[in-house]
Amino acid sequence: MQDYIYLMLSAALVNNVILARFLGLCSFMGVTTRVDTAVGMGLATTFVITVSSMLNWAVEAYLLKPYDLLYLRTVTFILVIAAAVQFTEMTVRKISPPLFQMLGIYLPLITTNCAVLGVALLLVEGKMGFLASVLFALASSLGYSLVMVLFAGLRERLALADVPPLFAGPPIGFIVASLLALAFMGFAGIGAH
Amino acid sequence: MPDLPEPIPAGPDESLVEGVARVVSVDGAVAWLEPEQGPSCAGCTSQGCGARGLGTVASRLAARRFPLTGHPDLRVGDRVVVGVRGDALLKAALTAYALPLVAMLGAGVLAQTLAGNDGVTLAASVAGLLLGLGVARFWAGGLTARGITTPRFLRRAGFGQSCRLT
Repeated sequence: MQDYIYLMLSAALVNNVILARFLGLCSFMGVTTRVDTAVGMGLATTFVITVSSMLNWAVEAYLLKPYDLLYLRTVTFILVIAAAVQFTEMTVRKISPPLFQMLGIYLPLITTNCAVLGVALLLVEGKMGFLASVLFALASSLGYSLVMVLFAGLRERLALADVPPLFAGPPIGFIVASLLALAFMGFAGIGAH
Repeated sequence: MPDLPEPIPAGPDESLVEGVARVVSVDGAVAWLEPEQGPSCAGCTSQGCGARGLGTVASRLAARRFPLTGHPDLRVGDRVVVGVRGDALLKAALTAYALPLVAMLGAGVLAQTLAGNDGVTLAASVAGLLLGLGVARFWAGGLTARGITTPRFLRRAGFGQSCRLT
């Protein structure tokens, strides 16, 4: 159990997808103007990353490895991720059309989010079992969501601040993002013996 | 035409998530709106962005059409600003995504503890996910019936105003 906790803390905080691995930066800058929308995008990405990682683990273990097709890994994973996004879209539409009207806007963004493919490839590198893979994917995506919400909260405050015109907009956003990344480096000591 | 739930009014200090929509048809007292969407990354106008255009294809927009009642003055082609409460977006996201994930993980952890086999854990996780989706469907029906997820008319959109996730 302790191993799982360390694995999840490491994935969410120490090796954060956005601030340590620099994946998913497009949505990080594009969908963090409000906390509400950042939460929506973060949860949608969490769902897709976790489900697609589960499917990718199964494809790797039961198809690519036994039939020696590892050279098709990246292409296959991209296909699985696109299918997972499509499945999510169809499911949300079926579950509730009003929810689809509200949340459907985030799903196309996830298809091209490199964090989803990045987590799937990291899972393969880690050679983990099924449950460890799913927990790693979940923790990575929760770390992604946490940073999205934190950054959205900071940007909401920045919108009210008296920022010099030269730094207004994306420049101050990048500066704040770099400070946030520095702050997250403080988690690097967790788990060190 | 089924009875449409009345949207819950927003309080004076309540934040709304706004979007621009276009009236595509009027059926008696009900106007059908289609969300107007620019680049799929809100605020990202980079031509090189790979996601640009993905959210704007006609079929995708048609799938997100929604009805609006109580505004008989709306005509086909009108552009309006609609909004939902910020907490409604959170409730919707938790219902659609968090519930199935929790069920999936719960089933997976239980199966791993009992069986200790990756194949069984995978099958249990898929079963948990499907069960969670069923519960989410039931829960989402309650949100819709209470009008929590129903968009409300805010104002007519100004000339040149574009859809942004603000």
